[in-house]
Amino acid sequence: MEERRHTSSHYEKELQEIKNDLIYMGTLTEKSIKMAMESLTERDSALAQKVISADDEIDRCDAQLEEKCIRILALRQPTAIDLRFITTAIKITGHLERIGDMAVNIAEKAIQLNEEPKLKPYIDLPRMSGMVIEMIRNSLDSFINENLELAEKVRQQEQIVDDLNEQIFRELLTFMLNDSKTIQRAIYIMQVSKNLERIADHSKGIADMVTYMVTGESVRHQEQSAD
Amino acid sequence: MKKNLFLKIFFSYLVIITVSFFVLDLLIKDEIKKVLISKVEAELKAYVALVDLQSLSEVSAQLNRISQISNSRVTLIDASGSVLADSEKEVKDLDNHLHRPEVQESRVKGYGRSVRFSNSLNVDMLYIAAPVKRDNKIMGYIRLARPLQDVKDFIEKVYQSIFVTIVILAIISLLTALFISYRLAAPIRLMEKVTRKLRQGQQASAILLHTSDETRKLADNINYLVEELKNQIRLANEEKSKLMTAITSINEGVLILNEEEKIEFISPAINNILNQKYDNIFGKTLMEALRNLELLDLYKKFKETRSAVSGEVTLGDADPVITKVSISPFHGANESEKAMVVFHDITRLRKLEMIRTDFVANVTHEIRTPLTAIIGYLETIKSGKVKNTEDINKFVSIMLNQAQRLNRLVEDLMTISKIELGEMSFKHEDIDLSEVIGGVIPLLERKAQEKKIKIINGMTQRMKTIRGDKDRLMQIFVNILDNAVKFTQENGEVTINASETKGGVIVDITDTGTGIPKEEIQRLGERFYRVDKTRSRDLGGTGLGLSIVKHLMVAHGGRMEIKSALGRGTTVSLFFPYFQG
Repeated sequence: MEERRHTSSHYEKELQEIKNDLIYMGTLTEKSIKMAMESLTERDSALAQKVISADDEIDRCDAQLEEKCIRILALRQPTAIDLRFITTAIKITGHLERIGDMAVNIAEKAIQLNEEPKLKPYIDLPRMSGMVIEMIRNSLDSFINENLELAEKVRQQEQIVDDLNEQIFRELLTFMLNDSKTIQRAIYIMQVSKNLERIADHSKGIADMVTYMVTGESVRHQEQSAD
Repeated sequence: MKKNLFLKIFFSYLVIITVSFFVLDLLIKDEIKKVLISKVEAELKAYVALVDLQSLSEVSAQLNRISQISNSRVTLIDASGSVLADSEKEVKDLDNHLHRPEVQESRVKGYGRSVRFSNSLNVDMLYIAAPVKRDNKIMGYIRLARPLQDVKDFIEKVYQSIFVTIVILAIISLLTALFISYRLAAPIRLMEKVTRKLRQGQQASAILLHTSDETRKLADNINYLVEELKNQIRLANEEKSKLMTAITSINEGVLILNEEEKIEFISPAINNILNQKYDNIFGKTLMEALRNLELLDLYKKFKETRSAVSGEVTLGDADPVITKVSISPFHGANESEKAMVVFHDITRLRKLEMIRTDFVANVTHEIRTPLTAIIGYLETIKSGKVKNTEDINKFVSIMLNQAQRLNRLVEDLMTISKIELGEMSFKHEDIDLSEVIGGVIPLLERKAQEKKIKIINGMTQRMKTIRGDKDRLMQIFVNILDNAVKFTQENGEVTINASETKGGVIVDITDTGTGIPKEEIQRLGERFYRVDKTRSRDLGGTGLGLSIVKHLMVAHGGRMEIKSALGRGTTVSLFFPYFQG
């Protein structure tokens, strides 16, 4: 946004503040996911507890950001790219808030899974979470740098995460078919995987909003209409 | 510039000339007129005295005669004002003259005069009148009038010459103005040129003037200022380059944030520290660029106090860099509040600290394990509950085993510390590595046979010799082969091969063992580092074997490389250089 210059430096500051807050919130959610996944793979329930309590801060950020955006809409009546920026910010904060909630879901599942013996070594799940974390990072980077290539990359990564989710599902299915004692744990792991898959969806949502903000063209639901 | 100066000088001259002309006009013109008129008046007065009115019969002729010689008009007026005779006009055409100013004056004073403009002649006329008395009684008046053509002519002449003088003066002043303005403007123009060049940032030579007036002093001052400015700029540049060299050559990465909290300067060391983990960070805020919560907290603390703060920040996700970050306030031009952020890479330091604490923990742990066993068995024997000599013998042999393990541990530690301290003495002999291998294999044969592991020696032929200490080289191969046998399952294979390369020999020892995870390979060689903590200790290792190998290889000027695939096996490549000269 360096090239954007407003006559009112105060307005400029307000926009920058929103950007800063979004980055802060994004960094928090990114960290939450990382910690949630670590609590699962390292079997660290205390860490999972931390993730759950850290969600309050994310929720607070969400409410605060939304209020700031609405205030700018009301007082400054932004147009063109500024309007797109504000609407994008509102959408992104929503996505981030949901991602935070999913980190909490994963952490809760981790606590339950940690109480029981390991079903199997986690191989695909860390790969999936690594990819998901990278997606969040890329989507945030694409927002900060207004980088359309990164946004496009996020959309491609989403497909890979979907595939991984399928793969994990199939693998766990065989476990469950073989031994009914594994069903509970397998379902928990599936839920973790499902949550990761949905985080990927939200990251893609952020990337789509970034594309909209930069180009002014909506790329959402294009796949569906092409089907 | 020149034109302005010229006009100024020229106009001031013109003003002076004009003013002096008016003053001249004011003072002199009337004076001249007065003098001239009084001269004429005196003349006419004399003529009046000539008139003799005793003989009235001749009045007309007399008037004409006087008129002729005095070159004036003569009029005779009676006491009531009627004209009796006139030298130029018919009497009957003239009106009553009693109220003419000169007549009135002469009636009262005995003599009258007046200067009036005559419309008919278009010239000033001087009239003088004197009463004609008989027995002290005014009988009439005689009046003389003369046009003041002479006076007018004279004054016009004077004016003409004044005008000519003015024109000449104007021309002279024009030339003078030109000259002065040129002379005066030349140095000023020169100075202007020099200062303009300076303003445009060009190099300018000193101003050389051959005058000795104020402009010379001004030029001297300008020269001094220019010199001073050059010095200041040179000094500033020198300071700047010193500072820049310092900033760019230190290992610490430096960022400068401008008053909008955006990065406006990046030192090259930053790239090394951040290891290209981040995109172009120029022009972004710290959060935009590095997105790090620890750093954000630190920056918030800095913003609250606006005084220097420092703290530890871990940057990057995979392969993180631990940095000590200090943020200090820094005033830019116009009192703008900037901040300098310095990153000091302490990853290595932290790693070393970790290795040290790990080491202490490991040593105590390694010593305690056999000691616990020994103490346990000793206590059992002491309690006297075990009477059976067979059991006691078994206990003693276990204790001996543990004591030997302790001994090995201490010996290994001593070896390492000796190498590290440089106290170990090396012999330098010419050695054929195939001979060393040939000597080592029998030592491990028994152990290998127990697990039915085949040791395939591909180094049966004589090789080019290297320089080294035979005992130490044997220790290297014993440690490596021991590991290979230890971590290979039953019925596996251990292969030894050698190849000669440029400047040395590479010995590859390949096993078909469990393999080592990729991320662990770089930690091998750390003291007490074990890939599989529990299993390795069961197998009787001290955790120092590879560490010793690493040190001994360095002492021999060689290198060790490990490649591994999980489940497929590990290859240890040892490179020994040939002796140079």
